[in-house]
Amino acid sequence: MRVAVIGAGVIGLSTAQSIYEQYHSIVTPLIIEVYADCFTPLTTSDGAAGFWQPYLYDKGNIQETKWNKETFDYLLSFLSSPESVKMGVFLQSGYNLCTEPCPDPSFKDIVLGFRQLTERELQLFPGYNFGWFNTALMVEGKTYLPWLTDWLQTRGVKFYHRKIGSFKELAETGADVIVNCSGIRSRELQADPELKPGRGQIVKVDAPWLKHWICTHNFTAGTYNSPYIIPGSRLVTVGGVFQLGNWNEQSNSADHKRIWENACQLEPSLKHARIVEDWSGLRPVRSKVRLERETIQSSPTPIEVIHNYGHGGFGLTIHRGCAQEAARLFGQIVEQKGKGPKARL
Amino acid sequence: MELLEFCYLHNFQSISLSDIPVERQRRWFRDSFDHLLTIAHSQHSSDAGVMQSSGVQIFKEVPAIKKPFWSEIVIGFRFMTDRELKRFPDHKFGQAFTTIKCECSSYLPWLEKRFKKARGQVQQRRVNDLLELSKSYDIIVNCSGLGSIKLVGDTEVYPVRGQVLKVEAPWLQHFIRDSDGCTYIYPGIKSVTLGGTRQECDGNLQVDKEDTKGILERCCRLESSVCKAKVLSQWVGLRPSRRNVRVEREVVQLHGQPVPVVHNYGHGGWGVTLAWGTALDALGLVRQYLDEI
Repeated sequence: MRVAVIGAGVIGLSTAQSIYEQYHSIVTPLIIEVYADCFTPLTTSDGAAGFWQPYLYDKGNIQETKWNKETFDYLLSFLSSPESVKMGVFLQSGYNLCTEPCPDPSFKDIVLGFRQLTERELQLFPGYNFGWFNTALMVEGKTYLPWLTDWLQTRGVKFYHRKIGSFKELAETGADVIVNCSGIRSRELQADPELKPGRGQIVKVDAPWLKHWICTHNFTAGTYNSPYIIPGSRLVTVGGVFQLGNWNEQSNSADHKRIWENACQLEPSLKHARIVEDWSGLRPVRSKVRLERETIQSSPTPIEVIHNYGHGGFGLTIHRGCAQEAARLFGQIVEQKGKGPKARL
Repeated sequence: MELLEFCYLHNFQSISLSDIPVERQRRWFRDSFDHLLTIAHSQHSSDAGVMQSSGVQIFKEVPAIKKPFWSEIVIGFRFMTDRELKRFPDHKFGQAFTTIKCECSSYLPWLEKRFKKARGQVQQRRVNDLLELSKSYDIIVNCSGLGSIKLVGDTEVYPVRGQVLKVEAPWLQHFIRDSDGCTYIYPGIKSVTLGGTRQECDGNLQVDKEDTKGILERCCRLESSVCKAKVLSQWVGLRPSRRNVRVEREVVQLHGQPVPVVHNYGHGGWGVTLAWGTALDALGLVRQYLDEI
């Protein structure tokens, strides 16, 4: 079988990985190809801070919480091996700050050592009077994506630098299954009014004395529209901005000023940090992740598509759970086409 | 005596200040912690080399005292969860908390700058005996650490040798300390410190290859990602140890003249941990002398 994956961000690469892991010994031959016109370090996944944390509340989307947990546990399992360094995965603790008491977040039992903030800790953050402390994971795109790419290439997955115009285009070249991991640009392949850009802008600075992430939450302003400071392995990511419907991928100085001033108020020592660069990206926002099969009627044969896009600002956080689910959907197609193990008896 | 450049995190566990009243100890710890916390949360954090650090102290056997007195002084003290302990299969119990790391290679120059700005004077010279100073100064404050053995004839002071490695592992954000005090991983601003050793009455300042090997093996077992980390440097220091930290007044007779001295030395491996608190006490003793003059 030939599988064509569209998109080489964290979703595309990890989905290719899961399909390979689960089916390469069941379906022979299994040819997996990744098509994209954008690769690491230029994808949305690369620009993100790499901080594992879902939105505070899943609003009933328990499926997404399950996938988040699966991803966390999966990444955590690598920590006991030196491979974690090559993957860009490491632990980091920090603060979630709110201006008013709020219910415990959906991820409280997923992360490590979750607890309420003590009075003394809250005194360190004037303006915030409630919050939590926990240990979470970092998975830095700029390291993780090359690791995934290497993992896939070692196992014979081919990469093609090509912009795909339509699912039909790939089907015509002989792809049996198309996996659509094109993120915000899925609209170019198929209309989806629910998919919108959630523009983000960040400032990357050199501040190696910072060892905790600080995420503030403002329920009026909305998710990510409140300052956050996320130290990485080399630089610190400072944000946050979340502009729904804004397609502009250029960084602008008004956003920079606002981000910077708010962050310096939150963490005064940033005053002395060296600013390295600004970056902007478009979170592929959707009311919920689109992770489902679609059989597109076409001649001579219907086109089997697995959609896996719309992960908003939590792509890295949820990627493994979604990839495994996408692989499961792939398995359904394999059964249907009679290419599964039963067929070989 | 070489300046102790390296500063440890708060090593609270095996402190022996047993002759000093608990309240006084507690005050030393608290004053020092609060002072450093204020710096860590200010714009001076990077200049002063003072930063917040979260992490764990792990025990191979469950200790008799699970919640030590300093648990209220550090931030967010709690016991480790079972999930967290899974990372350390050789250990049965752990404490998680947030404390301060104070890098003396930045902190000391920062303090010295403030001292000079307040019109303090610094002279680089060896003081062989207090008599030299008594001629020019009314009060002497003796912070000579191991030097007190010769300077004031204190035979209770002895070195405890410590060797450390500095490695490049910028992905490490948490400290990990084995409760025996001999294996620790302390992420710092520019490098991660791996330690260590505690060799009593050992004054050898040379880096020992066997110690290097031992430190790397033990740290690697706790945190496998440091196994291949690039070693940037190695260093040896001598902790100025004493049964009790000596913070007290003494009127020393020098050639028939009474010379007021305030002693502040013998902090062992808890210099950073106790510096500010003991300094405040010493300041109080200096003030007493001044009131008496």
